[in-house]
Amino acid sequence: MAKIENGLKSADSRSIRTISSSHMDDESSLGSDSEINGFTNDRHTDKYGFIGGAQQYSEESAQDVPPEVLRQREVKWLDMLSNWDKWMVKRHKKVRLRCQKGIPPSLRGRAWLYLSGGKVKREQNRGKFEELDSQAGDPKELDVIEKDLHRQFPFHEMFVSRGGHGQQDLFRVLKAYTLYRPEEGYCQAQAPIAAVLLMHMPAEDAFWGLVQICEKYLPGYYSAGLEAIQLDGEILYALTRRVSPLVYRHLEKHKMEPILYMTEWFMCAFSRTLPWASVLRVWDMFLCDGVKIIFRVGLVLLKCMLGTREKLKACQGQYETMELLRTIEPRYMQEGFLVREVLEVPVSERDIEREHHVQLKRWRKNRGELHCKSPPRMHGARAIMASEPPSRQDLRQNPTIIVESPLPPPQPTPQLKKSKEEKSKKKGSMKKAPPVMEIPNPYPLAGDPQLPLRDPQLPLRDPQLPLRDPMPTLRDSTVQQSLFNDTPLPNTPEGSPPPHQPPLSDQPPLSDQPPHSDQPPHSDQPPLSDQPPLSDQPPLSDQPPLNGQSLLTVSPLQKSTQSLSSIEADQDTYL
Amino acid sequence: MSETYDFLFKFLVIGNAGTGKSCLLHQFIEKRFKDDSNHTIGVEFGSKIINVVNKYVKLQIWDTAGQERFRSVTRSYYRGAAGALLVYDITSRETYNALTNWLTDARMLASQNIVIILCGNKKDLDADREVTFLEASRFAQENELMFLETSALTGENVEEAFVQCARKILNKIESELDPERMGSGIQYGDAALRQLRSPRRGQAESAQECGC
Repeated sequence: MAKIENGLKSADSRSIRTISSSHMDDESSLGSDSEINGFTNDRHTDKYGFIGGAQQYSEESAQDVPPEVLRQREVKWLDMLSNWDKWMVKRHKKVRLRCQKGIPPSLRGRAWLYLSGGKVKREQNRGKFEELDSQAGDPKELDVIEKDLHRQFPFHEMFVSRGGHGQQDLFRVLKAYTLYRPEEGYCQAQAPIAAVLLMHMPAEDAFWGLVQICEKYLPGYYSAGLEAIQLDGEILYALTRRVSPLVYRHLEKHKMEPILYMTEWFMCAFSRTLPWASVLRVWDMFLCDGVKIIFRVGLVLLKCMLGTREKLKACQGQYETMELLRTIEPRYMQEGFLVREVLEVPVSERDIEREHHVQLKRWRKNRGELHCKSPPRMHGARAIMASEPPSRQDLRQNPTIIVESPLPPPQPTPQLKKSKEEKSKKKGSMKKAPPVMEIPNPYPLAGDPQLPLRDPQLPLRDPQLPLRDPMPTLRDSTVQQSLFNDTPLPNTPEGSPPPHQPPLSDQPPLSDQPPHSDQPPHSDQPPLSDQPPLSDQPPLSDQPPLNGQSLLTVSPLQKSTQSLSSIEADQDTYL
Repeated sequence: MSETYDFLFKFLVIGNAGTGKSCLLHQFIEKRFKDDSNHTIGVEFGSKIINVVNKYVKLQIWDTAGQERFRSVTRSYYRGAAGALLVYDITSRETYNALTNWLTDARMLASQNIVIILCGNKKDLDADREVTFLEASRFAQENELMFLETSALTGENVEEAFVQCARKILNKIESELDPERMGSGIQYGDAALRQLRSPRRGQAESAQECGC
């Protein structure tokens, strides 16, 4: 964003780029939203919510994931989310792999909240956000925050209108943080972080997500003095020496202090640097694996932009180098390319910790003790979970998932009752296959004993998500396996398990997806939305179900000692 | 377009958060007001060649983050700056009160001869004014600063601020300042190099001798 926003650095940069209509996958989410009443129809909103494609190259650099693959990933993620502790403990590598592949947009917000531990924090501090939200706040901090509200992703539909919902929530989240950590106060670089979170979740969740990023992933980054970011600058510099000596020598020659070029990158977790599709993928990995992802992205960009002698010849001087690093070529930031490169950078948590130790020693020698004592850095979701073990209650999903069916329910019995019955049945025994199963699960996880899930033609819908941004729905349950190399789908809609599925034996089902006996609905169902939820909704069970809907409740974690090994055979390969 | 210029000056834009530093820079370079801009984290850049007293001067402008806690980071951008725009917001006394701190930083961390122009920005918001012209110009005099009230919104005095600052530096080069001294924030451009061994060069050398 910064680059486009600047409009100063390169001749071809403009404040607003217009995306040709062919790129639009959506007739218009514009106009239906009161937030953006100031805009006319000649500016389109891309699928990420940016108006006029103002987050650079978003559309062009995004990879298209076929809808059937998305549907399948959603099923997997729902399963992971409903057995989160088990997955994190026993199948963490798979979780990581799936983060690397990209979290499905419909579940991204929820997944981020689970990965970051924000979910657990929220549950363990019920009412805290509300309490902070009701307090007044330090006027000095509020003054600075208010000045920044209209300066976060000003071309995103959520934040485009002054005093609109997006800006209001941003204010609430940032203010709440200054009350939560009065000794830390507000740092301007927190605003883009909070804004990215708010694009995916309600204010309370975004607040806890922000807390986790500030205190677990990037501790000290936003504290007075900004020592932690300077220290990480030195670490990045040292890692550059190892990963790309040529770049290192160039930076050294031109006295390029790391904080000259990496401050915005790191403090905003690249949210103002990369095209949006890449921002999301980087965050998926970052929230799973922690700060090493940020280092790796930085190293990839440095290497790509400065990695050859020809390139270095063209930029003799500090200013020229800075300019180059702020106008990174789109091809290096393209989603697929970047993720691939990031995964190949040979920098591990241990490398970072080791270098941290070295640089801290140097720092103390040259500048004395650190003024801000930050908590230790947590390298990703698993470390965070280990440090703050959640109870099952903490991980309970809320809200539940609705699958809408246009057909009337088979019995006149109230749906709510039925779903409760099902829930209690499931609690009783997960090993028993649920009753009334005519429809086979089109997306069984390998080892999933024929637990019917839902119709393939029917996209999952998070009840929190508004019905916007239609995405193509699956028209045919026969899915071409060649499109993806994730868990293969059965080729036939009828119940036989795919040939390569492991024997089912008595493996319990992994997922909580309860059965439903509804008939297959039409294919033109309300589509999934990329859009973030606008409000926190109460749990479904409190709501009377709509007619013609079957409620799929995601039950709390089972106490059974489910074996997760059944999906070991599930050959997720990366990308 | 060839980049022919006689001198290259490094400029800073400093001042509290929200005073309109980035907007001043944008107005100067693009000649229009940038309504929806991000706040600066770290540093932004711009460069432009201007013509001052028959010399082409390339300004390399480093626009810094204004929030107090970024100061430790932005300090590293100061080194070798020849000129600076010190910006406050005429509608905010707080931003005016912070000027002394900014001034200390600039004089300490940039070159000793740094030329600073004080800019009272948001001149268009006269109704909300909290700092009078008179008060600020007195402050400028006391601290040997040039002074202008500017508006990044209308563009009033924006170009002038940069040009006046550059002119003063050129004057200093004529008289006392040696561009070749380390950390002066001044470099010769190609055009100037072509005139090396010209009277200008002699002048610079004699200035250096005087300095010793």
